Amino acid sequence: MDMNTAKLKKNAFRVTKERGLAASRIRVPGGHMDARFLAIIQEIAEKYGNGTVHITNRQGFEVPGIDFTDMPKVNELLQSIIEGLEINQEEMNCGYPASGTRNINACIGARVCPYGCYDTSAFAQRMEKAVFPNDLHFKIAFTGCHNDCAKVRMHDFGIIGMTLPQFDPNRCVSCGACVKKCQTKSVGALTLVNFRPERNHKKCIGCGECVLACPDAAWMRSKETYYRLTLLGRSGKKNPRMGVNFIKWCDEESIIKIVCNTYEYVKEYIDPNAPGGKEHIGYIVDRTGVPEFLKWALRDVTLPEIAEVSSPLYWNGIRYSE
Amino acid sequence: MPNNDYIPIRSEIREIIRHTAHEWTFRMTWADALSVKPSQFFEISLPKYGESPISVSGIAPGLLDFTIRKIGHVTNELFNYKEGDTLYIRGPYGNGFDLERYKGKELVIVAGGTGVSPVRGVIEYFADHMDETCGIQVIAGFRDANEILFRTDFAKWRQVMDITMTLDTGEPTEEYGIGLVTKYIPDLKIHDPATAEAIIAGPPAMIKFAAKALAETGFPEEHMWVDESRRMCCGLGKCGHCRVNDTYICADGPVFNYTTVKQLSD
Amino acid sequence: MGFELSTGGVNAFLRELARTGRVVAPVRFEGGGAFTGTDCVRYAEVTDIENVVFDEKSRFSFRELLLPPSQTLFYFTEDSITEPTPETRDTIIFLRSCDLHAVKRLDEICRGGANPDYYYEQRRKNVKFVLMGCKKAFDSCFCVDMGTNISDNYDLSIEPDGDGWHLDCKNAEWEPLLRAQGGTETPVTPAHVTETKTRVSIPDDLDFSVAKSKLWDEYDKRCIACGRCNFSCPTCTCFSMQDLFYQDNPKTGERRRVLASCMVDGFSDMAGGVVYRKNHGARMRYKVLHKVYDFKKRSGFHMCVGCGRCDDVCPEYISFSHIVNRLGDAMKEVSEHAE
Repeated sequence: MDMNTAKLKKNAFRVTKERGLAASRIRVPGGHMDARFLAIIQEIAEKYGNGTVHITNRQGFEVPGIDFTDMPKVNELLQSIIEGLEINQEEMNCGYPASGTRNINACIGARVCPYGCYDTSAFAQRMEKAVFPNDLHFKIAFTGCHNDCAKVRMHDFGIIGMTLPQFDPNRCVSCGACVKKCQTKSVGALTLVNFRPERNHKKCIGCGECVLACPDAAWMRSKETYYRLTLLGRSGKKNPRMGVNFIKWCDEESIIKIVCNTYEYVKEYIDPNAPGGKEHIGYIVDRTGVPEFLKWALRDVTLPEIAEVSSPLYWNGIRYSE
Repeated sequence: MPNNDYIPIRSEIREIIRHTAHEWTFRMTWADALSVKPSQFFEISLPKYGESPISVSGIAPGLLDFTIRKIGHVTNELFNYKEGDTLYIRGPYGNGFDLERYKGKELVIVAGGTGVSPVRGVIEYFADHMDETCGIQVIAGFRDANEILFRTDFAKWRQVMDITMTLDTGEPTEEYGIGLVTKYIPDLKIHDPATAEAIIAGPPAMIKFAAKALAETGFPEEHMWVDESRRMCCGLGKCGHCRVNDTYICADGPVFNYTTVKQLSD
Repeated sequence: MGFELSTGGVNAFLRELARTGRVVAPVRFEGGGAFTGTDCVRYAEVTDIENVVFDEKSRFSFRELLLPPSQTLFYFTEDSITEPTPETRDTIIFLRSCDLHAVKRLDEICRGGANPDYYYEQRRKNVKFVLMGCKKAFDSCFCVDMGTNISDNYDLSIEPDGDGWHLDCKNAEWEPLLRAQGGTETPVTPAHVTETKTRVSIPDDLDFSVAKSKLWDEYDKRCIACGRCNFSCPTCTCFSMQDLFYQDNPKTGERRRVLASCMVDGFSDMAGGVVYRKNHGARMRYKVLHKVYDFKKRSGFHMCVGCGRCDDVCPEYISFSHIVNRLGDAMKEVSEHAE
């Protein structure tokens, strides 16, 4: 049997334990799609796979047990999912054009969740459009609020939704609900001054608990959505670590630009001998130094005035060798 | 337009009588003092600190007494005031004790702690007009000797009426016995319980047990009058804080017949 | 006098009113809801009839125009007390029949008794009412059972009809204005609902003994005592006083009153630590009985007008109307135990 496994992998199939069998990896950017696509996944699994489907950690589907020879037929069936989810494609009916940049995750976000500060799936899909297809190993995830249910701090780029609470003193009845909620559920950025809450902007993480707690709409969400961008978290065998705070009160445009800029940076500095062409961005930054990374990442980025950029950036994490 | 009842009126502190470390009587100016009834109350108003409802504990021409316990934000601040200082008050509010009702009858007064304040005006009146009563007996209870209020008044009243003072704890003296007020209720000498009247003022539990003990002596509940207290805020029957079901303590009371008090379920 | 008027005509009429007054109506605050991407319909000044929201119930009632959530009573310096300058313009309020009935409740509470409320009266005397006809009830409404579905004490009624508007004017000063804007006379009876999906029945034998029912225990846990029911209610009027001095000039300050809620902690706490109705179930009982029992004992009519806002806004899905409908069984339970 002859098979170019590099090509197979790039086409979003996995080489599996069983000789001659692949697994098809279906990406669902933002983790939200029309239920009708499930029928197609079912068809692929039952017709070409072993009748099972794995729901992946990255919110995709993986259909195992596909004979190498059936991959073209699977790609044909995948076409309506690829089109339906608006995945960038180079050639029709040939499946996914790349797999290096992983599916872009999102918690359920403001489409459903009361805590969500923005439509996480929509932003994830916009990001997908901007970065895919690409062979570079990037992991990006979106979460609606600082609860971080999507665990975005384990990703190269983590995007956490924020709102800038707006206070109307004329509606405040001094019930204290916001102060209490901020204290017990969030960072304690509110204190009562002259019977009314005073917000410590430095402390505030824009979670919106005050807005949710207010019984009289004295606190409202800002018209603008803001984000916290976290940087270079990762799992892995070398040095797993949480992503650190990079920009607080960031905007959507800047985030997309920073991620795209980072692709350029990685292209320039990735270890040419990296196994499988995969190297976590963090290791590259360790090599070039943070200033060089920032020079690339922030090129032509105009942050909103309110944005706060953390400095210096410092990661720690787990080192197995110690 | 109605009057702006919320605007307080300036009043000068003429005298401060320090009964205990945390219970002082503030004697303050009020032009129309003689139209005020005992147990009516005023909102004592310290601009920038707030208001506190305080019952009138003494009435004299142009002067009102307010016996105040240092217990909250406003009263803590008030205890920094000195004689000659001015503050603001508004009132009087509430019904107060109707002295006419008690005239020509036997009267029993049972009061505990700061509950003595609202009845002090009643005792004082009859002490000065003993010919208008068919006998007045007072049982006053305090926690301990340090908590006794109106000590000199009691000594004075004792000259003309039957006064029993009692402390929750301590050693008995000539001045007071030891025990709860209810202990002394069976000893009352009431000639005709059917026509006698009673006034009860004090903490909720004391009111309840005193009323029960009085009833056991044959006192009709219809003749028991209780000074009630709740959280009050506006004093005008508007703010709702003191409402218990369909009763506004501030506007309908604070003095209620015991048959009404029994129905109040918070 | 009934009129038919175009949108342009209505807007021109509103502009006439705005010369001497402010026109306030339920409008949509986009993104004004607590959840991301949700709106809030509440009261604000309007210039155009198209901005008045007819097809949705307002989250908060008109009540805040007569009794603002927070209101300065006076300012003080070291030796003076100054009232704020009152609003002297007319306030023209758009509201539905249930809310117009709520005005009667507010008047009873604030204007009645020995001490009419000065600040309420200051606003109330300049208010005119525009009735928004209801063609159909919202899910949580129960105005018909509360007898508040029909109103006739309005200055003007208004409701959309095709491309134009139907109005019934009872204010003699406004009639010429409507005519001048091209209003054509036509008989108009304001739309009102005659049936609601939510029904309530208040037991005839209801009395305070119902406090002993186990019914209330359920709400000890379910109710979070947030006060949303009170703050959205058109007939809740309770308030607390606040005194403060300004941080930049501690010699001056103000006294204000803010809406209070009998469901929220602290409502009945006394200095010294006595707390009445610590349990949320007891607070629920206190509120519910006031709305459908003891207020009526005092005033002759129920306080609740059946607008259903308290049901709409409860984050714990506690339904006031459902509680009212459980009172019958609760009375039975209590009287059986008494026997």
